[in-house]
Amino acid sequence: MTEAAAAEQTGDRLVQTNPDYDPDVIIETQNLTKVYRDFWGRQKVRALKALDLEVRKGEIFGLLGPNGSGKSTTIKLLLGLLFPTSGRALVFGKDSTETTKNERIGYLPEESYLYKFLTAEETLDFYGRLFDMPSDVRQQRIDSLIEKVGLTWAKRRQLKEYSKGMTRRIGLAQALINDPDLVLLDEPTSGLDPLGTREMKDMILELKSQNKTVVMCSHLLADVQDVCDRIAILYQGELKELGAVDDLLQVSDETSVRARGLPQEAHEEIAQVIRKHGGDVVAIENPRTTLEELFLNIVRESEERPGRRATSEDREQGS
Amino acid sequence: MVVETFPEIMTWLFGWQDGPGAFYIFLLLVVAACLFGLFFGYLVAAFRHGPGEAFYVVAKVVANAGPDWIRISPRRIFAIARLAAKEAVRRRVILIAFIIFAVALLFGGWFISGADNPERVYINFVMWGTQLLILMMVMLISAFSLPDDIKNRTIYTVATKPVRTSEIVLGRVLGFAALGTGLLLLMGVISLLFVWRGLSHSHEISRAENGEVVMSEVDPFTTGHRASENAVTETTTSLDSGHRHWVEIIEDVRDKDAPPPVNMDSVISQETRGEKIVYRRLNVTHEGGHTHKISYSDGGYDMSDARGFFRARVPLYADQLVFYDRQGSPRRKGISVGDQWGYRGYVSGGVTLSRAEFYFSDFTANRFDNADKLPLELTLGVFRSTMGDIYTRVRVGLQFESVPAEGDEETGNRFRSELLEFESQEFDVQVKAIPRKLPGQVFAPNGELIGSGIYDLFDDFAANGNIKLIVRCVDENQYLGMARADIYFRAADQAYWWNFTKGYMGIWLQMMIVISLGVSFSTFLSAPVTMLATICTIIFGFFSDAISKFAVPDVEGGGPIESLVRLITQKNMGQPLPDTLGTQIMERIDMVFIGMVRSVTDIVPNFSRLDFSDFLTYGYFVSNDRLLVAACITGAFCVGLVFLGYFSLKTRELAG
Ligand SMILES: Nc1ncnc2c1ncn2[C@@H]1O[C@H](COP(=O)(O)OP(=O)(O)OP(=O)(O)O)[C@@H](O)[C@H]1O
Ligand SMILES: [Mg+2]
Repeated sequence: MTEAAAAEQTGDRLVQTNPDYDPDVIIETQNLTKVYRDFWGRQKVRALKALDLEVRKGEIFGLLGPNGSGKSTTIKLLLGLLFPTSGRALVFGKDSTETTKNERIGYLPEESYLYKFLTAEETLDFYGRLFDMPSDVRQQRIDSLIEKVGLTWAKRRQLKEYSKGMTRRIGLAQALINDPDLVLLDEPTSGLDPLGTREMKDMILELKSQNKTVVMCSHLLADVQDVCDRIAILYQGELKELGAVDDLLQVSDETSVRARGLPQEAHEEIAQVIRKHGGDVVAIENPRTTLEELFLNIVRESEERPGRRATSEDREQGS
Repeated sequence: MVVETFPEIMTWLFGWQDGPGAFYIFLLLVVAACLFGLFFGYLVAAFRHGPGEAFYVVAKVVANAGPDWIRISPRRIFAIARLAAKEAVRRRVILIAFIIFAVALLFGGWFISGADNPERVYINFVMWGTQLLILMMVMLISAFSLPDDIKNRTIYTVATKPVRTSEIVLGRVLGFAALGTGLLLLMGVISLLFVWRGLSHSHEISRAENGEVVMSEVDPFTTGHRASENAVTETTTSLDSGHRHWVEIIEDVRDKDAPPPVNMDSVISQETRGEKIVYRRLNVTHEGGHTHKISYSDGGYDMSDARGFFRARVPLYADQLVFYDRQGSPRRKGISVGDQWGYRGYVSGGVTLSRAEFYFSDFTANRFDNADKLPLELTLGVFRSTMGDIYTRVRVGLQFESVPAEGDEETGNRFRSELLEFESQEFDVQVKAIPRKLPGQVFAPNGELIGSGIYDLFDDFAANGNIKLIVRCVDENQYLGMARADIYFRAADQAYWWNFTKGYMGIWLQMMIVISLGVSFSTFLSAPVTMLATICTIIFGFFSDAISKFAVPDVEGGGPIESLVRLITQKNMGQPLPDTLGTQIMERIDMVFIGMVRSVTDIVPNFSRLDFSDFLTYGYFVSNDRLLVAACITGAFCVGLVFLGYFSLKTRELAG
């Protein structure tokens, strides 16, 4: 998409005045620093130290780090919920405190901070109105989103009756109500069961396929590894590592081979081939499935044949 | 209660008579608030970001304010308003307020009935209760809303939508306003029904076996109860709703060819006496602000439901009252009667020049609905110099005279009516129907008698809208006391429902200010502190009239520091202090202090101006000017407070 087209698409709401604006750079932080202060202005915590980031269009960007490393702080700064102590954060080339940028942003907070006395439908209706969506568009979006996050059966129940995972789902639906170009997810998989986690990950990948940009933060490495294109690792507010997941994780001096239906005798033969080429055999073994996959299979089985305890045979056939 | 004359809205807004009009003060305050806001904002920004960056920060906030108010979306405001209202309903505050209201009405009724003037007590009770509950309720819901949103972090999901800060503030104000309006409407209707039901009652008249009214043996001329001059005999009704009425039989003597009395229903007998017919009529006295219509038929007497409640009286007060002593020279106050000297001035009786003159203006027929009789209400004090007899009524003489307009004294004719005499009734409001056509004389400007006949009060006497009422005491050795507010004409009543509505609009306006206060303060204070600040503002607002009276530059004894010095040095208030540098500095500081107190009274809403409950309680109309002034005050404060809330929320870190 050309620059002109991008500006045109957003309409008059987000008029681009920055001459250096590159429509492919969705998020840019320059020297972004946040110091939490108390009422008297005394320094409490240096939560973020001189962060320089650039997130480009269509990327899934992961923010990684242990608890208290500044992930949520970064996201709040990007949203304008916090004001930077120094440096700046640009979103769509605009200052992060600008209200109009929110037209194209979806945000899922750490915990879903929603109004507990509303039902799922009312919640989405409320947030839809905040985007000034006309009622027919709103209704259509609400229905499809509730369907998508799998809450159709509970859409008329108040959120206070929801379980944590259900709240998370409606939180996601709320973040997507405006069909955003940029989605900021703060620990999207927390509180979700493996099925939900998988669905969430699929949803994130689906967003990517729609050429949307996703920034997510998490300390669940597996989640980040599965979906992210690039990651940044924060530790005590400082950027420690930044790069493409593939590059970062590739172990360049090892090779792995996977095969099916190979008899036990073949193992020795393969080991010989490896040795012939001067390699070290680290392990030749039958792989174990991950617990995640096991769990997912059981759930899938139970859905197909309710009322029966799933056996390993069924699973063999199922997979 | 005295309904003072009230300035017209335009005079109040743009007049320059006593100090600048309210509009100019408002403009001044707006400018002052802007300057102060910029200065204060810069200080805070400098503290946070350093003095250089602060300019940029302040400029950005100011630049953003424009679009934030222009690009407002009704749909978003509606969504926020509805959510705020929903949330408030969930807090149960409203339910509790309503239950208290219902319980109060249920039990209040028992205590009220039987009061001296039940209407006053009822109205006072419901209005006071409604006001208290509504204000408390909106204070609670508006003080907790935003702080709770911030505490629960639900504000994160709202503020990250394209919602403008202006919409967050305005939406809340409107949401609570809608909720409060609904509740106020409900309470108003229930109150009216409650008062109406509580006041509605009737009485029985005791009867002998033959169905005749049993009249008391007591000579009505000496009991002192007699309300009518021509009453010949009297009795009382049954005790209902905690009171009785006196029922009198009045002899109405008329010429043979004169029309019969208007109220023929209550005529019980008539007889011819030479050239006259004597109609005997029944009259029920006014008790506690009402009376009953009595009708007589063969079957007996029927008393109607209470009449005289639910009035929106429009008193036409004199602009000026001048007393004249026995020698006929004007006095600021009346004649001294010793002890009684005070609120009332006295005129002495007998053939002297002592009199009181009431000057009325804007005295026109359409203010009285072109009625043939003009009700004049009097509350007169009596001072007797003859001992012993306390029942004999002192006679009052009334006379009307035209008042030539300024510059017209040389050319205009003067009309003067004959003396209308009647007995005064002490300690009570007396209603006299003054006929519109009065016998009188016309005098030329030089005092020459031109003619005499029947003249019209409006067309002849008060052709220019001005009229003078002269009050004399007819009986020698007696004194009549009165003050300006004691005698007034009652112009045509206003519709009661409209007056009642106006009274509740007053509460509504107060409610709007409290909501704005709550929402605006809660953008930078926690919920309990917001409530405290709101309560303080309300209290200050109710007394701001009294406070500004003390905060005048030439108050006796000086300002706070001078008073303190006087107290310590034990100097009398009137004693001048030595003219030293110290004294001058002290006076300067006092001036600044008084100026500060004065400006505070200006920036705090004057709640007593928005409170119309006294008008309803005493049955007086609330003039449109009063309502408009109250609306202007409210509008100005709400706008100011909403902007304050906007700026403070805008510059606040929501996730901080
Ligand atoms: N409102 C606040 N006031 C003071 N300090 C804060 C505030 N919010 C966060 N902090 C501090 O800032 C640092 C970074 O916090 P942040 O919430 O960004 O961590 P995080 O990486 O999201 O952690 P987690 O994985 O636990 O969510 C922490 O030391 C935290 O204590
Ligand atoms: Mg976090």
